[in-house]
Parts: sequence; structure tokens; C-alpha cells
Amino acid sequence: MKTLTMSSLGALVLFAVGCGSTVPPELLSARTAYDRASKGPSAQLNPAGLHSAKETLDAAEHSFDDDGDSQDTKDLAYTAERRSQAAEARTRELLAITQKEDIEKATQAYKDSKGQQTAAELAQAKKALATTSVQLENEKKNREEAERRAAEAQKLLAGFATVKTEPRGMVITLSGSVLFASDKSELLGTAKTKLNQVADSLKQDGRDITILGHTDSQGNEDYNVKLSQRRADAVRQYLISRGVDQTKVKAEGKGKAEPIADNASPEGRANNRRVEIVLGPKTEGSK
Amino acid sequence: MMNMKLGMLTFATAATAVVAAAGCGTAYPAPTQRLADAQSANRSAMELGADKQPDAQLHYKLSEEQIAKANVVLKDGDNKRADMMLIRAKADAELALALAKEAKAKQEVQQATDLAKSQTQAVQGTPQ
Repeated sequence: MKTLTMSSLGALVLFAVGCGSTVPPELLSARTAYDRASKGPSAQLNPAGLHSAKETLDAAEHSFDDDGDSQDTKDLAYTAERRSQAAEARTRELLAITQKEDIEKATQAYKDSKGQQTAAELAQAKKALATTSVQLENEKKNREEAERRAAEAQKLLAGFATVKTEPRGMVITLSGSVLFASDKSELLGTAKTKLNQVADSLKQDGRDITILGHTDSQGNEDYNVKLSQRRADAVRQYLISRGVDQTKVKAEGKGKAEPIADNASPEGRANNRRVEIVLGPKTEGSK
Repeated sequence: MMNMKLGMLTFATAATAVVAAAGCGTAYPAPTQRLADAQSANRSAMELGADKQPDAQLHYKLSEEQIAKANVVLKDGDNKRADMMLIRAKADAELALALAKEAKAKQEVQQATDLAKSQTQAVQGTPQ
């Protein structure tokens, strides 16, 4: 075609271009636009678009060669510039489409991996929960067992001792007549059986224990103090022999100093003859 | 195809010049197909939102104006000038279309990015 055009217009071309036409700005812009497009990613991603732009630019160049700064040259150059720009736009569109697909793939991959991770963590959490449930069940059983034993102890103590909560602590009051024969400080056999239950309870209790011996008002005061001390010591020693921590148990003879009933009547005096086991506040590490 | 058209155009232009130089007259065919092509490209650009997209808007309007001018020139009987105007009009319409599609694709990238962020945050925030 070029040859044909050239041969057809040989004389005219020589006349028109021979005078030295100025390259029109449209053609300059078209060259710049194509140059930029051809050096970018369009060469790989949109060769068809780039090829179309190149053909139009070539036509513009031929027109310029043939006709110089003609309207046809300007129109073709104008068209070539648009086609180069369109080729670049199409390439940017393709890049954006690829980018979007990459983002969607990466997001899905992340969600899948996270889903698997979550499933594994969930399984682990369930396992941990099952372990905790077993532990809680065991603790519950232990607590119920302790409560049962405490209730049994209370039942055994009924008729033998009274339990009260006072400002100085929990006070277990044992009747002197149940523990000792008159004027004696050796524990009776039946008393030992009863004290075994008390000892079992106290072994599991972390509180400080004070054992107080009391008498009625009859007899010599000094004698009564010593008798009450011996009785308190006897109870202390027995409890220690049954496993109660000796460092937590102390014994004290009060004599007749702290009566709880009227010493004028036999019943009152019987009530005053007693041994009190006082459980103080729980110390650190107690159960 | 375009190469052929442009080649023929160049040939026709050259032939016209030659004939004109020879002092004879011949009719340049009415560019009815070119007009249909330009109008079709212009409609496609509009359907893709080129008339509203900032980057594409200018070329869409240029395409419209050149089609309108080409119709005026056609009525005046200057088929050749009309033909070249329609080539320009079609090129502007196709550029407007390409720019509108590019903008749409970039918008979708942004949407995918936003969605990815919200989804990954949702996954991270899922109670475990």
C-alpha cells in the first residue's frame, strides 16, 4: 500500500513534503503516547491493542510523509493517540482484574486456614473443658464427702457435746462428767471413743485450737485450777495422739473462773464442769 | 481490519488528490458504516458509565460532538471530512469505554480490598 501510495503520488509528495512541513502537534502527541504505551506492560498484556495503535500511527506517519501537515495527518494522529491511550487503559483494567482475583484468592485462603486453625483450637478447648469438668466433678465429690463426714461428726457429737459459734470462735463444749470420773483427770473409755470423732474433724481443720478446762466452784481454788489444767492437757494429748497437729493445740486450766451456770444447784455445777475446745480463726494454708 | 480501512482511506485520499489534480471529479462514498460504528461505540461507552466517569467523560463528549459535526458535514455533502470525523469520534468513544472499564475494575479492587479487610477482621474477632 505504501508503495502504491508513493508511486501514485510521487510527484505530489515530493512537492508537498519537499517544502519541509512542520510535524503537527497531533502527530508529536501520538508518537509520545505510543512510545509510552509500547514501553509499558501493554506489550505483554495487550499486544492487540498496541498493534492497532501502531497501525494507526504508521498511517499517520505515512500521511505526513505523503501529505505533510494535512488534516488527514492530524486526524490519523489524533486517532493513533487515542488508541495508544485506550490500549494502556485496557492494560490497567486487566491488571486491576488480576489484582482483584489475587485479593479474593488470598482472602479465601486466609479464611480457610483460619477455619482449620479455629477447628483445631475448638477441639483443644473442648478437651480442656472436659478435663476441667472432671476436676470440678472430683472437687464436688470431695466437698460432698467432707460435708457428709462433718454431718456425721455433728450427729455423733449430739448428746455428748454442744457446738456454738461465739466471737472467740467455734466452741465445742464437752461435759466434764462424760470425759472424766469425779476428781480425776484420766479420760474415760467412752470419752475416748467420742473424742476420736472430734479428733478426726480437727485433723482436717486448719484453725488454732485452744482447750480450756473448767470446774465448778466447790473445793480449793488452786486445786480446781490444777485439776482443770490436767483435764485440758489430757484432752490435748489425746487429740495429738489421734493426729491433730500439736503446734496448733494449746491447753489451759481455768478453774472455776468462768462459770456458765449457777453453782448453787447441782445441775448448774454439772454444766460448769466442762472442757471447751475453741477453734480460732483459720490460719493460712488451712483447708 | 483497521489497517485495511486506514490503508484504503489513505489510498482513497491519495486517489482523490490524484484525480483532483487531474481535473476530474468522483464521489466519495457516504460513510454510513463508519457512522454506525461510531454511534455504536458511543452507546457502549455510555452504557458502561463513561458519561459520568470523570476520566472518561471528556472523551465521551468529544465523541458525541464529533458525531454531531460529522452529521452536519454529511448534510453538506463533504463525505470525506465526515468520514475522518467519525474515525476520530469512534476512537474517542473507544477510549472513553476503556477508561470507564478501567475505573470500574479499580473500583472492584477497592471493594475486594475492603471486603477482605472486614472478613479477615471478622475471622480474627471470632470467639475461639
